Amino acid sequence: MDLSVFTQQFFNALSLGAIYALIALGYTMVYGIIELINFAHGDVFMVGAFTAMWLLTVPFSQSGAIHNPILLAGLLIVVFAITMTFMGFVGMGIERFAYRPLRNAPRLAPLLTAIGVSFILQNIIQTIFGPSPRRTPKVFPTDIRFDLFGASISLLSIFIFVLTLALIIGLQTFIGRTRLGRAMRATAQDRQAAQLMGVNINRTIALTFFIGSALAGAGGVVYGLYFGQIGFTLGFSAGLKAFTAAVLGGIGNTTGAALGGFLIGFVEVYSGQFGLFRWSEAIVFGVLIVVLVFRPSGLLGQPLGERA
Amino acid sequence: MQKLSRSIALLAAMVLILAACQGTNTGNSSASTGSGGAGATKGTIVIGVDLPLSGGEAPNGQPTLSGIKLAIEKANGQAGGYKIETDVRDDAVNGTHNPEQGATNVQALIANENVIAMVGPFNSNVGKAEIPLTSPAGLLQCSPANTNPSLTKKGADGKFLRGDNPVSYIRVATTDDIQGPALADYLYTTLKKTKVFIVDDTETYGKGLADTFEAKFKDLGGTVTARQGVPNPDGSADYTSILTAAKGAGPDSVMYGGVTTTGGAKLRTQMADVGMGDLSYIGGDGIVDGSGDTTSSYVNLAGPAAANSFGSVAATHDIPNAGDFAAAFKAKYATDPGAYSAPAYACTQVILAAVEAVAKDAKDMKDLREKVRAYVTTGGQKFDTALGPVSFDENGDSSQKVISFYKTDMTAADGKGDWVFASQKDFAGQ
Repeated sequence: MDLSVFTQQFFNALSLGAIYALIALGYTMVYGIIELINFAHGDVFMVGAFTAMWLLTVPFSQSGAIHNPILLAGLLIVVFAITMTFMGFVGMGIERFAYRPLRNAPRLAPLLTAIGVSFILQNIIQTIFGPSPRRTPKVFPTDIRFDLFGASISLLSIFIFVLTLALIIGLQTFIGRTRLGRAMRATAQDRQAAQLMGVNINRTIALTFFIGSALAGAGGVVYGLYFGQIGFTLGFSAGLKAFTAAVLGGIGNTTGAALGGFLIGFVEVYSGQFGLFRWSEAIVFGVLIVVLVFRPSGLLGQPLGERA
Repeated sequence: MQKLSRSIALLAAMVLILAACQGTNTGNSSASTGSGGAGATKGTIVIGVDLPLSGGEAPNGQPTLSGIKLAIEKANGQAGGYKIETDVRDDAVNGTHNPEQGATNVQALIANENVIAMVGPFNSNVGKAEIPLTSPAGLLQCSPANTNPSLTKKGADGKFLRGDNPVSYIRVATTDDIQGPALADYLYTTLKKTKVFIVDDTETYGKGLADTFEAKFKDLGGTVTARQGVPNPDGSADYTSILTAAKGAGPDSVMYGGVTTTGGAKLRTQMADVGMGDLSYIGGDGIVDGSGDTTSSYVNLAGPAAANSFGSVAATHDIPNAGDFAAAFKAKYATDPGAYSAPAYACTQVILAAVEAVAKDAKDMKDLREKVRAYVTTGGQKFDTALGPVSFDENGDSSQKVISFYKTDMTAADGKGDWVFASQKDFAGQ
């Protein structure tokens, strides 16, 4: 494999990994704060992809590439803003009605409602948009490309990477430097103590769901732009891989989730490069098993202490 | 105690015998009212239909179903003195054809003794699940669109899918051992491409088509730069990595063995992303599935990327009296026929002709089902169908070996793009 192909695949892996990372962040944040594996999260991502598809095709009636940079930027800002906000509220709604009433119930109960919510979201989308795959217009022109180490990188790849990096850095800053972020960390460490210190637990958990779901929404928009085709079942396999990414990085650890997402992107893409495409999922989960055997808490996981 | 249980057993046996007698009685009486009542109509018989009708498969199944209904209507809804009805079943689950659902559907059709024959299925892997069920039941099954050769040939274990049962499965579509090489011939000879990259979806149809294509393309002197199998049942596979890997060898075209729902359109779209958008793209009848106006068809999903795509249909395009057929179809359904509307029409014609020929000798429904099967599959009967004269060989394959070629025209269908007919070739005797 020469350098140009390696670089090309590197950027393919970054784009795919970025999608997994964006979903994995929501998994890990929710687990960090209420120790719930939110199995509906992959479907929140799927609903985000459909929201973006609907926005692009119905109100903005786009069908192909947009060559005017100002128009493209404006459209993207609007689509990302609306989708992320909408998905944030959907996430908050799911928490309010499906998880909060069960917060003190045995662990198995919220896990089952999570699976239930997952089916509800899938069925809603199937009813509205039908069971068949739908096209998301690829608004990024594919002919604008940049040459790097002999590889030709599309504008979309660069956009996805920059956006994901910005969102991850923004999230880290938010959690590490702001009052609300501190409240989230405190709640994750010890919910009762945080409450005694005057942290509004319900609001903090709702906020965690809002942010996690908004990031999944962003992942959904990126997915549509990148693949150009979405279906109502896509949340399952993407969600499963993102969940793996979160466990791989150390569940509860946001940096770990991002790292795990990119790692899975790399494993998938390079197994395709070496003609092992049909083994890619086996390799992904093989890596997971090996990591968990030697580091049961994941690559960056902290068994105790700060989790959010 | 023992005495008591024995007398209970005796009682149970008597009840059973009584019930059985009653069963035969009702059977007889209904048959007699059937034949004596009207004279002209001997009763109602059912043609079963199993096609993928919902979701992403609707562009395949619906126009095919319309072909069946049109044929029955043309025969005034009757044959051999019987009134014809249909029992239509959908084998798509969550928008994709599903072999298990197909098997469930044919079991229901087999169980209904009024079903004397059936049309379907559309997809080869569904056929693979159904043939082992319809063969022992002796239910004639005519597929308008199955093209995988293994359905009617001996497998690696030296056995037919039908087992030791007589042939009950026939098809009017040309098989992939002709369609695959025909595509290779078209790509190499007509489109003048010499270096092809092949992707298949690892399903019965897709892999089979790609296998026969690959062999012929190499025979002709072309180069296969690489071959990849990408399982993609839920449509979530990412093709960029394998396309990037394939790009280095400099292919001038990409061949796809599979259908739209298992990735045909996505692969085409992602080619543009990795800078391979200018390459020609060729696939079988799995991607020739409707215009850009049809939700989830190949042209609709690929959008502008669908330009410069080529495909085939395993049936003749220039059918005899094509104008009449298209006009009748359009008059009834206000749309042009689909790729497999005419073959489905032909399947139905074959069944109706068989009923017409054997109805007078049939003792009961079970006998009629068997006589219809035997009439069609033995003795090389010639049927005059919408596709022209058709007969079936000892394994149920059609005597017609015509492949039609199509290409995408992005200005068709009011600028939304559509498949347009390019040429057709008869491969009989090759």
